[in-house]
Amino acid sequence: MSSAAPGSTAHLFEVKSAQLQLVTLLLKSTHLNEVANELQQRYGNNPDFFAGDPLLIDLSALRDSEESVEWSFLLPLLRRYHLVPVAVKGGSPRQMQSALQAGLAQGDEATYARAEAAGQAVLRAAAAPVPEPELLPALIVDKPLRSGQQVYARGRDLVVLAMVNPGAEVIADGHIHVFAPLRGKAIAGARGYTDARIFAASLEAELISIAGVYRTSDKPLPANVQGRPAQVRLQAGPDGEKLVLEPIN
Amino acid sequence: MAKIVVVTSGKGGVGKTTTSASFATGLALKGFKTVVIDFDVGLRNLDLVMGCERRVVYDFINVIHNEANLHQALIKDKQCENLYVLAASQTRDKDALTQEGVGRVLAELANMGFEYIVCDSPAGIETGALMAMHYADEALVVTNPEVSSVRDSDRILGMLGSKTQRAIEGKEPVKEHLLITRYNPNRVEDGQMLSLEDIHDILRIGLIGVIPESETVLQASNEGLPAIHKEGSDVSEAYKDLVDRFLGHERPLRFVEAVKPGFFKRLFGGR
Repeated sequence: MSSAAPGSTAHLFEVKSAQLQLVTLLLKSTHLNEVANELQQRYGNNPDFFAGDPLLIDLSALRDSEESVEWSFLLPLLRRYHLVPVAVKGGSPRQMQSALQAGLAQGDEATYARAEAAGQAVLRAAAAPVPEPELLPALIVDKPLRSGQQVYARGRDLVVLAMVNPGAEVIADGHIHVFAPLRGKAIAGARGYTDARIFAASLEAELISIAGVYRTSDKPLPANVQGRPAQVRLQAGPDGEKLVLEPIN
Repeated sequence: MAKIVVVTSGKGGVGKTTTSASFATGLALKGFKTVVIDFDVGLRNLDLVMGCERRVVYDFINVIHNEANLHQALIKDKQCENLYVLAASQTRDKDALTQEGVGRVLAELANMGFEYIVCDSPAGIETGALMAMHYADEALVVTNPEVSSVRDSDRILGMLGSKTQRAIEGKEPVKEHLLITRYNPNRVEDGQMLSLEDIHDILRIGLIGVIPESETVLQASNEGLPAIHKEGSDVSEAYKDLVDRFLGHERPLRFVEAVKPGFFKRLFGGR
């Protein structure tokens, strides 16, 4: 136990400015039972998906409706999925006031940290020098991933040197590289990074997804990539983003 | 040093118990002191296949719960000098198996001088299957040439690589062997069954044997006789090959080529 010696002017704390990476939840409904059901459907099998991520709740889709949000229901619900709600943004003054009373900070100056290539870069350069984010090296897996196994490369790329079998899942917030047959599910850009790509030495995946845009093997892969070295990326088009599958070489 | 071998598959009805019985018998016939343990608590079958169901007084669960000692529960095989059976309980369920209890019984068996301990795993991926594989040194992964069986075997291989004592303690991993049962080369040729290559392409572990599809297996289990005792049958020969390969001898693969039915067979529709 250490304690400040009497008489000394020990500083027991300092106040500094800090930045925090947040996950955003764009809430589209105040029918929280339905929200709870959807959470259960999407993440029920994977309750550790968020692993304590701080959360910004975006109310902009509800702003005009002026409906009130049942915070005493929503906050415990989100915490059950290991999300830590810290702030709200975008709500009507009344909604924001109620959030403040529920213990959430006002996060209106927060902007989406979506890596929109050019615009973002300019913005960054203009702003005060931001400390370089610490490099998170890719997660490397050199054993086969078999049915029922799952690997999540949190905040980084995933490199798999052995096969990914049907029923296995590889998930990364960045890119996914598989130097062997990819036969299971591959989910790149799991937290919305739209420039993420999937590379496979032999593309035979059951499901491929980039930043939430997905395609299942229900629709067979085109012949020029099926079972061949290929990459998958997301391309913005007039009618939204779509997955582009291309052979490599 | 006793070697613990789990016979497992994930999927039910693929031939785990048939294989456990014949494999353990084969090892005993080679002179090794062998015990085969039924982990399928509540749905015991091994004693039937081994033909000792009427001699079960105490079982594996009794020993785990200290209600009987091993000498009381071990059933000596009638055909084979070095073979013993430890039956499962029919009245309990898988929760009666405890990791600590299983470990204690296996250690005791090793102390009694058993050279091979064959663990007949129940189907599924729950307690029973986990207990059967937990202390394994080697695994026979029994797979039928069809997609769902291959998928389940894949799942079990994942668990062998992560949930066993060797995996948890970071020791040398469990040695995995692929055993394909109910293989029918003619049906493979017709495209009704997966071929050896298809299966290997997904599972990618060493193939230790192929047991052909045969009525002998059913006859043998009904008689309470391990199929390996059915002298002269394909199944018996294939199980003997399996045992030889397991003991480190090279044996060519047999019963994997399609046989065209002869002219008379086609004419008279014989089977």
